[in-house]
Amino acid sequence: MLQAHSSLWHYLWVAPNILLFLLAFLMWRRGLHRKYPVFFTFSFVAAIGQLILYAADMMPWVSAEAFWHVLWSGLVVEAFVKFFLIGELFAHIFGPYPSLAKLGKVLIRGIGAVLVFIATVAAALSPVSNSHVIVSGPHLLEQTIYLIESGLLLSIFLFSAYFRLSSERTSLGICFGLAVSAFIHLATWAFAANNSSRQVSVWLDFINMVTYHVCVLIWFYYLLVPREVTTKSAVPLPENNLDVWNRELERLVHP
Amino acid sequence: MTIAILLIIAAALGLIFILGVTLSRSLQISAGAGLARQIKPIDIEAFRNLVDPAEDEYLRRRLPTPEFRLVRRKRLRAMAAYVQAARRNADILVRVGQAALAASDAPTAEAARRLVDNALLLRRNAVFALLRIYIPLAWPNSGFAATGVLCRYEQLNGSAMLLGRLQNPAVPVRISATL
Repeated sequence: MLQAHSSLWHYLWVAPNILLFLLAFLMWRRGLHRKYPVFFTFSFVAAIGQLILYAADMMPWVSAEAFWHVLWSGLVVEAFVKFFLIGELFAHIFGPYPSLAKLGKVLIRGIGAVLVFIATVAAALSPVSNSHVIVSGPHLLEQTIYLIESGLLLSIFLFSAYFRLSSERTSLGICFGLAVSAFIHLATWAFAANNSSRQVSVWLDFINMVTYHVCVLIWFYYLLVPREVTTKSAVPLPENNLDVWNRELERLVHP
Repeated sequence: MTIAILLIIAAALGLIFILGVTLSRSLQISAGAGLARQIKPIDIEAFRNLVDPAEDEYLRRRLPTPEFRLVRRKRLRAMAAYVQAARRNADILVRVGQAALAASDAPTAEAARRLVDNALLLRRNAVFALLRIYIPLAWPNSGFAATGVLCRYEQLNGSAMLLGRLQNPAVPVRISATL
């Protein structure tokens, strides 16, 4: 069952991508592609990329070298789209609050720079898992991409948790799915980049494929299942002197 | 392998954290009127008095150094307590505002958005204000909290000297001592 080219393996490679295609189509039908254009693009790019890779793996006339080239190209394109997607999520979560947006941008740029440095060091220190660079390279590249992606997503979660922001449900769901995928892939690729056993590699592939499937279902749930509407009584806004306190604190901070 | 272990541990911790945040957000009970009652009123005048650098200067001149350090530390701790209380109130207002954002008509939603934005600004300012308070708490003689006021004092001093020279170029101006 847990073997490459088993029925489960075929299902786990193909089904999530068809579901992701379906999700993109349903987003377009409901007009959600206007609100989340980068996620919409990501759904297409990730699904097409994976299906092309699957086809390259299945077709006997595609050489091993060509397969790895397809994998490399897909990885690079997907990484670009993912970083744009993180930017889109950041804008959705913090954009409505000008008081946080500017500080958030500065923080996320700083964190991004630190993460690139850490990821470079981690890649430099990781042993080469395969003598062919074309095979070991993607492992390290995946580890690097997922390390940066996980760090950026974690900082979005930390930042919104610190400010007790209850993010919009859809943005939270996309962010959650992306983060689950990034963290589990980071762990598996870190392991893969340091392990050359073929059987372990197949198991790690299964973990990654199951994770990806679960994440696609998470996105389905958060994007398409409507939130349970509860009748809320109007919440009265309390009197406050936030302006006065902000002036006083700003006087203290920026005298 | 050490790098791999570190990355796996970091990934596991990160995953637990985001699961916790997402679950707590999903299960968050909507804020009601009861939440607003948790807001504690804070005396802004007392806070102004505590942050007033003139008060610090007065105490510095009047008290022997060891006693001044003691008093200054107490004043800084009180200042921090005020800022933390204001931050807690801002937390509550963020939740109240966000509940109103989801449930209300357009004008109320706009008022709620402004309320949340102001409360977030207060939380952000509170972080920096606490930094400005805790540093002098470690060095009570530093006068760090009063730096800005001293800057303004120097600017005023400079402006007064310039004005004096323009009004009466023949007379050497010495205003610093009198300000």
